[in-house]
Amino acid sequence: MNDPYQVLGVSESATDEEIKRAYRELARKYHPDNYHDNPLADLAQEKMKEINAAYEEITKMRSGGSRSGSAGGYGGYQGGYQQYRQQSGSSVLQQVRIAINSGDISRAESLLANYSDHNAEWNFLRGAVCYRRGWMDEAKRYYQTACQMDPGNMEYRQALAFMENGTRQAYRPGGGQFGTDLCGGNICLPLCCAYSLCNGGYFCCPIW
Amino acid sequence: MTAACGREADCPSPSCGCSEVFGYVRPPLQDLSQEEAERFRRIYCGLCHTLGQRCGPAARFILNYDFTYLAILLSAGREGEPHRARCIVSPIHGRTYLEADPAMETAADESVILAYWQLRDGVADHDWFHGLKYRSLSAALEPAYRRAAAARPGFDESTRHQLRLLAELEAERCGSVDRAADAFAVLLSGAAREVDEPVRRRVLEQLLYHLGRWVYLVDAADDLKKDAASGNYNPVALRFGLTDGVWTPEARREFTATLDHSIHMMTTAFELWDFGVWTPVLEATLYNGLFQVGRAVLDGTFQAARRGEDRKKSKNVEGTT
Repeated sequence: MNDPYQVLGVSESATDEEIKRAYRELARKYHPDNYHDNPLADLAQEKMKEINAAYEEITKMRSGGSRSGSAGGYGGYQGGYQQYRQQSGSSVLQQVRIAINSGDISRAESLLANYSDHNAEWNFLRGAVCYRRGWMDEAKRYYQTACQMDPGNMEYRQALAFMENGTRQAYRPGGGQFGTDLCGGNICLPLCCAYSLCNGGYFCCPIW
Repeated sequence: MTAACGREADCPSPSCGCSEVFGYVRPPLQDLSQEEAERFRRIYCGLCHTLGQRCGPAARFILNYDFTYLAILLSAGREGEPHRARCIVSPIHGRTYLEADPAMETAADESVILAYWQLRDGVADHDWFHGLKYRSLSAALEPAYRRAAAARPGFDESTRHQLRLLAELEAERCGSVDRAADAFAVLLSGAAREVDEPVRRRVLEQLLYHLGRWVYLVDAADDLKKDAASGNYNPVALRFGLTDGVWTPEARREFTATLDHSIHMMTTAFELWDFGVWTPVLEATLYNGLFQVGRAVLDGTFQAARRGEDRKKSKNVEGTT
């Protein structure tokens, strides 16, 4: 295993409080909620395991090996990256869920294409496939249809709510809200670049 | 992309036909330390030198921030040895720049290929008179393109394929923003094709895909009014029913949500790889810069800010050279 202090990005002389803060920041970054349905969720899960193990090891070392567990940290987030665990109403749609979970989006897509009953679950899973492909607008529209067809289904409603507002809670270094209409920046200053593209960049012309 | 979209457009940088889709990804300098901003400038100058050395002097005119980000993303996270040389912009004191490495060479070749096909699209999309600019610039870039395409045949082929696909979607006036943006996003994610390490390739493919998607959508949003006046194809206008180029609150809310999902996909990918010395500039760009540019585009202030910046730069350049 890598040096646990290095994994948490702190020095060996860091205080317990600093270590806990570093751990919490990393845990927030790689938290399953931040990788909801993300095609790279498996990599985030690996990171999380590494961070949890590092935090646990440091905690153990500092308490003389007598303590175990995550010692007041985030309690070891390891599960929760796998989505679509609910039981399906049909065996084909169940296979679609398995395919999505394993990252085989092409298989999920072809199973859905050959399934003629475009019920609420079909629309929901079509939305999930679109999301994995990066087709965010279509994903939302399929989730909307699923919710209209089965308004009481929590799984569909959560998916739609995530598409509408979910990124507001996304990780941003140092906190702060995540979103185009939530940033308070003034574009004039950021665009006052210190060097020029020379009207299309014929020559690089730094002018600071 | 504006040219690729088949949308007649006044390029914000009239002397550079290839920059139409580019120019939205920028370093938010107010969020960067002097050291980080200097580092960004060194790779910017390094890419300029690499383009000149590898593809000939004409290739230098395609230089922009977007291609600099490509060089950063493809780099191994280390800064090579800085060199100092005089150039036409700084003929007396010279400038420090990063020496070419394999990543910078890849970025240079891919930039030339992207810029060339953008220009060719400009030729195809304009009548003889309005296409003159594109024809002359693409002719000037042709030798550079030949060298780059010979070095990266796979990227050249995929770029041509994706741009053909995009032209077809635009010809049929595709109303799905996702389908239209996908063609450009796949094109850009192809830049990670030569990355050997599988995890790094997955990370870069996701990051570049959503960067391409975001750029395409922001460019379409930026052209809303112009396209409403000219009647040219605009996927965002079609999707949200914006006939007069003015956002409704509901459409704006939905559109920013889709942009934010792409930025989120970029940031989550970014956090899964160690970009080394480039981490601060990438972090500031992805978590701040894209939001600021997107908001300015939606508020209609982006072009004015860019024009003001260009004027200021021209003035400064005149004063310093």
